[in-house]
Amino acid sequence: MSFLKMAKSVAVATVLASGLAYATSASALTIAYSGYPGAISAFWASVTDAVKAEAAAEGITLLDLTTPEADAAAQKNAIDTAISQGVDGLIIGAVDNRGFDDTLAKAQEKNIPVVAIDTGIDHPWVKSLVQTDNLAAAGVAGKYLVDHAKKGTVLIIGGSEGHQTGNARRDGVKAAVEAAGFTTIFQICDWKDDCAYDQALTQTKANPDITAIFAAWDGGALAAENAVKENGKGADIVVVGFDGSPANFESIKAGEQAATVKQDSVGMGTQGVQNIVKLIKGEAVPALTPIAGVLIDKSNVADYLK
Amino acid sequence: MTDASPATKIEPATRGFAVRAMHEFRQVSPVLLAVVLIYAGFLIVSPPFRSLDTLFTVLTQATVLAILACGTTVVLISGGLDLSVGSIFAVVGIVAGQLFTTYHMPVPVVLIAGLGAGTLLGTLNGIVQVFTKVPAFIVSLGALTAYRGIAELATAGVNMSRFPPEFKIIGSGYIVPISIAAVVALATWFMLTRTRIGNHAYAIGGNEEVARLAGINVARARVFYYAFGGFMAALAGLMQTARLDFAQSTRGVGYELFAIAAVVIGGTSLFGGRGGVIRTIIGMLIIQTISTGLSYMGVDTSTQRVTIGVIIILAVYLDVLRRRVS
Repeated sequence: MSFLKMAKSVAVATVLASGLAYATSASALTIAYSGYPGAISAFWASVTDAVKAEAAAEGITLLDLTTPEADAAAQKNAIDTAISQGVDGLIIGAVDNRGFDDTLAKAQEKNIPVVAIDTGIDHPWVKSLVQTDNLAAAGVAGKYLVDHAKKGTVLIIGGSEGHQTGNARRDGVKAAVEAAGFTTIFQICDWKDDCAYDQALTQTKANPDITAIFAAWDGGALAAENAVKENGKGADIVVVGFDGSPANFESIKAGEQAATVKQDSVGMGTQGVQNIVKLIKGEAVPALTPIAGVLIDKSNVADYLK
Repeated sequence: MTDASPATKIEPATRGFAVRAMHEFRQVSPVLLAVVLIYAGFLIVSPPFRSLDTLFTVLTQATVLAILACGTTVVLISGGLDLSVGSIFAVVGIVAGQLFTTYHMPVPVVLIAGLGAGTLLGTLNGIVQVFTKVPAFIVSLGALTAYRGIAELATAGVNMSRFPPEFKIIGSGYIVPISIAAVVALATWFMLTRTRIGNHAYAIGGNEEVARLAGINVARARVFYYAFGGFMAALAGLMQTARLDFAQSTRGVGYELFAIAAVVIGGTSLFGGRGGVIRTIIGMLIIQTISTGLSYMGVDTSTQRVTIGVIIILAVYLDVLRRRVS
């Protein structure tokens, strides 16, 4: 065992020991959590904060075993250690969702329930997955378009054909706007901004009844917004994106792009803790807990601009 | 337009202008006829296509790739190949974005720095290739990956958008982008046909050994062609960044292949020594007319790609047939 690994194990053991000591004294639950490193992803930093906040609110001792790097092996080691020392439950945001088989078998043996967040782990012992529902999140975008655009045609600019996320976002918007009597035009752009720009320009010229544009990613939405602005139709066409990128927040603040939908990191973290508590108490939890998106428009964009 | 016989190289000034013009027109006429026919076809089948505005849209949308393809034409005529221009394109966009948003540089400085960065990366490709003798395909394939990585590193998670209006002008509207592309095309044409370094491209691409024996400094000339290609990639990258008004490291993926497609549709040889830049511009107009025209007809982007793929092969096949006949 290398020094670094040993140091890591000692650190984990210390955290666990102190946590267990506390748990015993307070006779409360102890839950181990391992997510994707927050230093790499702002989304995950926010998920981890929400997990901690919810755990504190419920009086649970939370052991944050998140590794500083996105290292699948280190994550597995930390979780293995937590299982052998004994915790009441596990919340895992897998760095790599393969290779947890023996870990989860051990958790099952010790009857430690597991909740997966963001990424599904294919194992019968994982009874709950909390995941962003792109379909529902795009439905939020679709509803916004219905409420804010004049009745007409919605141009949907998609990611890659067959890409699960891209397709779900397309279908979510499509269902919402078509139910409200809009027609749709769909064009695939392989997540390429320049394609989104050209399609937004050409389609709005060829189809004057386009009143709204949805792009499955924020770069595409910003490109589309700039294309219709160039076309002199910036004020008439409602553009909505997906992701919640800083450049789009600036555009929303300036009153250009209308809105964007962001994955609900807080909802994901909170729901993850609530589900593990239910599992520990032996209550039923649905296999999939979908998390919808948060809509960001001019009214709340200030909260997201740093 | 420029062409390709060794006679052009040895005595360019001795042929009369009318003779030259006729000769060049004959060379360009098949692709010119093709673009006119395709355009006329869309005019017939698509009512919304029938406007001057549409014509300008097609021309404007073609400008970025047309400028990039001017560089590719020169490199290919000289018997070289640069697959990294799409990545250079991305690096330059990020350089411009960072200089504006992080360092608040004035527009002229950003333009010069952007063009300089592209030229430098192109030059580097040329130097590495000339000195290592590693094939152009491999050197530029490596550069394609490496430069993309540089673009990603240089992004550093910074939001780069909302540039000054004096910068946006180079990509906005019809007049400025079309004028820039026209000037670039003419300058490239002039370089290839009227200057020594341009004529040498045909000589080197035709037969490098003969060119060397004729006293041409092949290494220096090659580095120049790659630098030229890098400069054009940079100009195209700056124009697209201005047009979209935000910078991103993912731009320009696959552009090197689009540029090569326009070059071969135009009839320039992939193996060097033969070709011209005006045909490349027409080749790019063929691609753009088809893709805009099909968009106007409501055809999806996937089917557009299939169509353009078939056109590429068809164009080269027709060229092969024509050569066999004559």
